Amino acid sequence: MAPSTTVSQRKLIKRKAPRGFLRRVFKRQKPHLRLGTGGDLLVHLNCLLFIHRLAEESRTKACEDKCGVIKKEHVMAAAKVILKKSRG
Amino acid sequence: MADSYNPDSEPTTRTLLRRVLDTADPRTPRRRRSAWMSAQKATPETHSSNRQNSGTKTTVRRSQRIRSVSKSAHVQASRQLEEQTPRTLLTNILLTAPESSIVMPEPGVKPLPTPKVAQSSRRESSRGSLELQFQELEPSITVAPSRLALGKRKQRLRLSVFQQEVEQELPPSHEPCGNADASSLTSSLNLTFTTPLQPQSVQRPGLARRPPNRRAVDVNAFLQDIQDTSLALAAPGDNLRTPVATLPTDMVLEDTQPFSHPLVGPSPSAPPSLPCSSHTGAEDVVRLVRHGPQCSSSGVQNKKDGAVPFQDGVHEAEEKMEESWRVNKEKETTTQRPAGMEESEVHTEPEPEGSLGTMDISGKAASPELASSIPEFLQARQLHQLLEQAPPPSTAALSSEPLEPQLTRHPPKARTPSSRSRQDPYKIGLNHYMKFFTFYAKMPMEKKALEMVEKCLDKYFQHLCDDLEAYAAHAGRKTVGPEDLELLMRRQGLVTDQVSLHVLVERHLPLEYRQLLIPCAFSGNSVFPAQ
Repeated sequence: MAPSTTVSQRKLIKRKAPRGFLRRVFKRQKPHLRLGTGGDLLVHLNCLLFIHRLAEESRTKACEDKCGVIKKEHVMAAAKVILKKSRG
Repeated sequence: MADSYNPDSEPTTRTLLRRVLDTADPRTPRRRRSAWMSAQKATPETHSSNRQNSGTKTTVRRSQRIRSVSKSAHVQASRQLEEQTPRTLLTNILLTAPESSIVMPEPGVKPLPTPKVAQSSRRESSRGSLELQFQELEPSITVAPSRLALGKRKQRLRLSVFQQEVEQELPPSHEPCGNADASSLTSSLNLTFTTPLQPQSVQRPGLARRPPNRRAVDVNAFLQDIQDTSLALAAPGDNLRTPVATLPTDMVLEDTQPFSHPLVGPSPSAPPSLPCSSHTGAEDVVRLVRHGPQCSSSGVQNKKDGAVPFQDGVHEAEEKMEESWRVNKEKETTTQRPAGMEESEVHTEPEPEGSLGTMDISGKAASPELASSIPEFLQARQLHQLLEQAPPPSTAALSSEPLEPQLTRHPPKARTPSSRSRQDPYKIGLNHYMKFFTFYAKMPMEKKALEMVEKCLDKYFQHLCDDLEAYAAHAGRKTVGPEDLELLMRRQGLVTDQVSLHVLVERHLPLEYRQLLIPCAFSGNSVFPAQ
C-alpha cells in the first residue's frame, strides 16, 4: 500500500520547458490572443514559481501536522493559500 | 616341409588356421599348422613340445619380427617359426584339452563353438589391425557369410583332426602341455600372445590383403573339408579320446583366444549367422551383435581358468560389439527415423493450418527429437512444407495472421495516441509540473495529493490566462508580451524591487532559456535578444 499510495521524492528532474504544451494551453484558453516570443518561457517560469511555492507550503503544512508524507489535505490547504496569493 | 605344403594348401590352411587358431598367434604357425595338420602332425608336435618348454614367447616374437623384415626371410624362417608356432598351438590345445577332458560334458557343444571360434578368430584378426578389421568384417558380413560358415566348419574339422592326431600322439605332447598349461594359465603367456598380435596387426597391412583371396580359395576346399569333418566328427565319436580331443581343441582355441576370448563371445553369434548366411549382411551383423553378449558370457563361463585374458577378450569383444551395434543402430535409426519423420510430418501438418509460427515451433520441436536424424528428414520437411501444405497455409497464415494482428495492433495504437492526445496533452504537461512539485516538495507524498496538485495547476492556468488576457486587453494589445507576465509576477509577489525578473530567470531556468530571455551583448556591438 505504501509504495502504491505514496510517491517518493524525485532526485532528478528535467528542467526543459514544455513550450509547446504551454502555448497550446494558452491558445485553448484564449484563442483570440497570441503569446509573444519568450512568453511561453515566462509562463513556464511563473508556473515553476507557483509550483515551488505550492510545494513549500504543502510541506510546511505536512510538517505542522507532524506527518512525514504530504497528504491530500495538506495540498488542499496550501493550494487555498497559494492560489489566492497568485491571483493577478 | 611347410614350404612344400604351403603352396598347395596356403589359402585354405592359412585362412582356416588364422581364423580358427588365433589371430593372436603368429599367422605363419597357423599356416604351417594347417600344412602339418594335413601332412605331418606328430613331428611338429614333438618339436613344439620340446621347444615350448624352453620358451614359446620368444619364438613367437622372433617369428613376428622376421616376418616384418621380409617375406623371403619369413619363408626361410617360417620353417623354424612353423615348428615354434605349432608348438604354441599344440601347447594351447593340450592345455585346453586336459581341462576340457576334465569337464567332459562340453564335447556335445563342440560343433557350435568351433564355428564361433572361427568367426571369432577372424574377428580377432580384424581387431588386431584396424585395416584387417574393416576388410575382414565387411566381407564376412556382406560378401560371403556362407563361405565363412564353410571356413568355420573346415576349421572345426581340421582342428578336430589335429586334436585327434595329437591326442593319439598325446603322450609326448601332454607333457609339454602341462608346461604350456601353466604358462597359458599365467597371464604372462597371454600377455606375450597379445603383444605379438599387435605388432602383427601393424605389420599385417600386406597380410590383410591376402585373406579375401584365401577365403575364396577356401570355400571350395572348405566344403570338402566340412564334409570330411562331419564324417570325422561322427567317426571319432567312436573313440572316447577323439571326442575329448575335439572338445579340447575347441577349448584350446578358446584358451588361445585370450586374444580370442572376445572371439568366443562373438563366436556364438556365428551359428545363427550361418543359417542366415543368405540374408543380408546387416541382418547377420545384427544377429551377431545380439548373440555377442551371450557368446561372451558363455565364453567366460567356459574359460573361467584365465580370468585376465577373458577380460581382455571381453573388452575387445565389447568394442567390436559396440562397433557392430553402431552400424546396426545407424541402420535401425535410418529405418526408424522415417517413421519419426512421418510422425513429425503429421504433427507439422495440422499445425501449419493454424499459423506459421506454430509451423516453426513444430519444426523446432521435431528437430530436437530428430536432432541426430538425417538430412532426409529435413528434406522431407522441406518437401512437405514447400510442396503440400506449407505454401497454402503459409500464404493464408501470412495473409490472415499479419492482417489480423495489424488490425488489432493498429487500432490500439491509434487509440492510445488518440487517448493520449485527448487526455494527455494537457495532463502530460501537468504531469511535467507535478514532477516539479515532487521535486520541490522534498518529501514523499500521496498520489491523492498529486491529484490535488493537478487540480490546482488546472485552476492556476485558468487564472493565469485570464489575468494575461486582462493585462493585454488593458494595454490594448492582442499579443501577450513579457511585460504582461512581469506585471503578473510582480502582482503575485514573485518579482519585487529586490528580486527582478532576470534574477528569477537566472535562478530557475536553464542556461538555454536564460539566453533567450535575458538580453546580452555579443561581439559586433549586437544585443540578443533585441530589446
